[in-house]
Amino acid sequence: MIQRPEIKPIGMPRIPHYTALSAANGTPLYALHNSSQGVVRVSFVFRAGTSYQRVPFSASTVVNTLSEGTANHSGKEIAEALDYVGSYYDANIDRDWSVVTFCMLKKFAAATLDIAEEVILRPSFPEEEIASYCAKRKEQLHVQRSKPEQISREVFGRALFGEEHPYGVTSSEECYDAITTEVLREFYLSHYNAQSTFAVISGDFGDEEQQRVCRILEGLPEGEVPERTIPEPSPTPQVRQKMEGAMQSCIKIGLPLFARTHPDFVAMQVVATAMGGYFGSRLMQNLRERNGYTYGAYAAMINLDRSGYFVMSADVAGDHTEEAVVEIFGEVERMTSEPMSAEELELVRKTIVGDVMRVFDGPFGAADVTIENIQNGEKNDYTERFLGEVAAITPERVREVANRYFQKKRFVVTIIG
Amino acid sequence: MIDYKEHKLVNGLTVLANYDECSAMAAVNLLYEVGSRDEEPSRTGFAHLFEHLMFRGTKRVPDFDLPVEEVCGENNAFTSADYTNYYITTPKENFETALWLEADRMMGLDITPEKLQVEKSVVIEEFNQRFLNRPYGEQWHCLREMVYTLHPYRSPVIGLTPDHIRNATLEDVRAFYERYYRPENAILSVSAALPAEQIFEAAERYFSVLPGRGTIERRGKVVEPAITSPRRKVIESNVPADQITIAFLMGERGTRDYYLCDLLTDLLAGGESARIYQHLVRQRQIFSAANAYITGEREQGMLILTGQLNPSVTIQEAEDALYGELERLVQEPVGDYELRKVQNKFEANITFGELNVMNKAMNLSYYRMLGDMSLLNGEVDIYRSITAEEIAEYISTHLNRNQSATLIYHRKR
Repeated sequence: MIQRPEIKPIGMPRIPHYTALSAANGTPLYALHNSSQGVVRVSFVFRAGTSYQRVPFSASTVVNTLSEGTANHSGKEIAEALDYVGSYYDANIDRDWSVVTFCMLKKFAAATLDIAEEVILRPSFPEEEIASYCAKRKEQLHVQRSKPEQISREVFGRALFGEEHPYGVTSSEECYDAITTEVLREFYLSHYNAQSTFAVISGDFGDEEQQRVCRILEGLPEGEVPERTIPEPSPTPQVRQKMEGAMQSCIKIGLPLFARTHPDFVAMQVVATAMGGYFGSRLMQNLRERNGYTYGAYAAMINLDRSGYFVMSADVAGDHTEEAVVEIFGEVERMTSEPMSAEELELVRKTIVGDVMRVFDGPFGAADVTIENIQNGEKNDYTERFLGEVAAITPERVREVANRYFQKKRFVVTIIG
Repeated sequence: MIDYKEHKLVNGLTVLANYDECSAMAAVNLLYEVGSRDEEPSRTGFAHLFEHLMFRGTKRVPDFDLPVEEVCGENNAFTSADYTNYYITTPKENFETALWLEADRMMGLDITPEKLQVEKSVVIEEFNQRFLNRPYGEQWHCLREMVYTLHPYRSPVIGLTPDHIRNATLEDVRAFYERYYRPENAILSVSAALPAEQIFEAAERYFSVLPGRGTIERRGKVVEPAITSPRRKVIESNVPADQITIAFLMGERGTRDYYLCDLLTDLLAGGESARIYQHLVRQRQIFSAANAYITGEREQGMLILTGQLNPSVTIQEAEDALYGELERLVQEPVGDYELRKVQNKFEANITFGELNVMNKAMNLSYYRMLGDMSLLNGEVDIYRSITAEEIAEYISTHLNRNQSATLIYHRKR
């Protein structure tokens, strides 16, 4: 018989702190040095998410086509140059932010950052490339929208915030037809400026790479932090959409809440983790392990710049749809009526600590955490305070926040399939 | 570059250790050399169902996940055609909990009829979610059936049909466990800021009580006969766009042809600047998305060319365009610059793929299974040695319509 090893204390995870620098024009650069692996990552972050756009798809098309052509090079030449040195280029967008990331071997940092400078500062959005990009994306979106999970995501977003709400709106594929070089240039000029940008450099970089990134930031034009209006959400309580031939139902249940800056956010994150943030969570145990209705279920608190929401999600066997919804609301009820056991709360805490530690494994994880903290107007000590708050939370406090926000009539339910 | 030390227990368990000074985490990876290729043809999907059952508890540890969660750990597993891989990450202070759990479930499971029943439903829902309830979902079933006539790679890991999973019995579970889940058939690797000696000593403590039982009975090697005339299947279906997928049978892992095919598909589709993307997606706008890759099995895998067609393009045009790209590599062998580009990319990809403890531990087990540890850090050199002439020669002798299997999805209008 093999004895179980004793559980050793691990203490608080060490949170890497960045050095805050700024380019000559005041644009911030956060530096996280880690010399182990001979790789460097640079991310440029812009206040240019989709909620800022007036023309549908303009924000995503701008960030996705920055590399499609510049004043000096064609899109093909840029792709060639990056591929030749094996550097990764990645453009990402959400409702609030766009992020452009370059990952490179240190020995190819100079070549990669030369390209980065062009892509960030001198994109030309060539007409032919833009037309080709839009045709391709239109077709890809059409393909995506035949998949239940995509439909479910979009329907849930609209139901949660409202059809026209900047955090919920979706647009028809045909809107790509209205995208022109002019539209893109206008969005780029008003959003990619020194006042709405920051950058993060991480990995095995030296002074030279750091200076090079500062020079790129100094090339950004002066501008203003762009304006936008985020109205209150106007939720639709129930949407049920049939799909012909579907074998499963995609269920999403949630409610609009608040951003990470709200005093109850961390407590609600604990609630979400307990509901569906790890394998032993209540929804997983109920829907998958006890009932076999689904391959997986999850719950999460989603943070947006000016809002946030709680969501639970599962793709379940079509003929168990009703039972699954009943079970989910049963778990909601249990969370609001019974205080969590000390053992369960301890597991939830450990899950959260483990998740934080896993993010920091490898030279680039700290960059992701830094980006998120800066976006929320915090420093990396936020992560320490967050862990401190999680460590101090009581079962009564968990029940109290669940009880405050989980009112059945406030929930939005969408079922696709 | 991954450094490692190796140790073998008397019962046959192989243990590998990598020292990572930067990480606060330990990754514990346990690979069993059994996959869907080892299944009976009437019991496909079983290796994967079995992987799920490994999380259903033992007499001594009724809930597998709980002790992992108690040490801030995370665990998961996957099944491939060739092997089944289990992994746990924990803060390094508690890596022994992972060893204990793995040793425990190597000692015996506790599967009741009820547990088997629930797990079958979960796996059937996985089948539905990933393969049936989505457009093109059954494409791998169709393609494998066309390419493989004898080899067990004919069946995808999930299984040929949900019925095979429904029919699995407790006796099947017991026999499979007896045959494959034993120390001689397992490779344990740990990557952490821990000395190798400490890892080996702990492995001895937790695993040496397991008895070794000598050789493992395996099926004989199956050689899939070459494809000698075009195979073709057209599916009329409610898909959003037409799609073409061309598959060729290719060499085993470790052969020169394997690396050549991998490099060749990177010339075609490895990155934005690659040929298929530049020529067929951007310039000629034949496809809205296209790709070329190898499926990467240990025995004879597949080289795949695939694309989703833009609305006005015909299947014939798309097919000719893909073969046109192969033909061009024969007519004008690829230049030094382009070849160096994809070779550089392999080097970078390998570096980026070794940045955390999990990937390192997984790679250690996998390369040990392949049997040639010089490949762990040596594949870049093989990629760098491949020439344009070899690629042209390979295409002209292997990648033609007569040796292809082509699956077409035609959108119902």
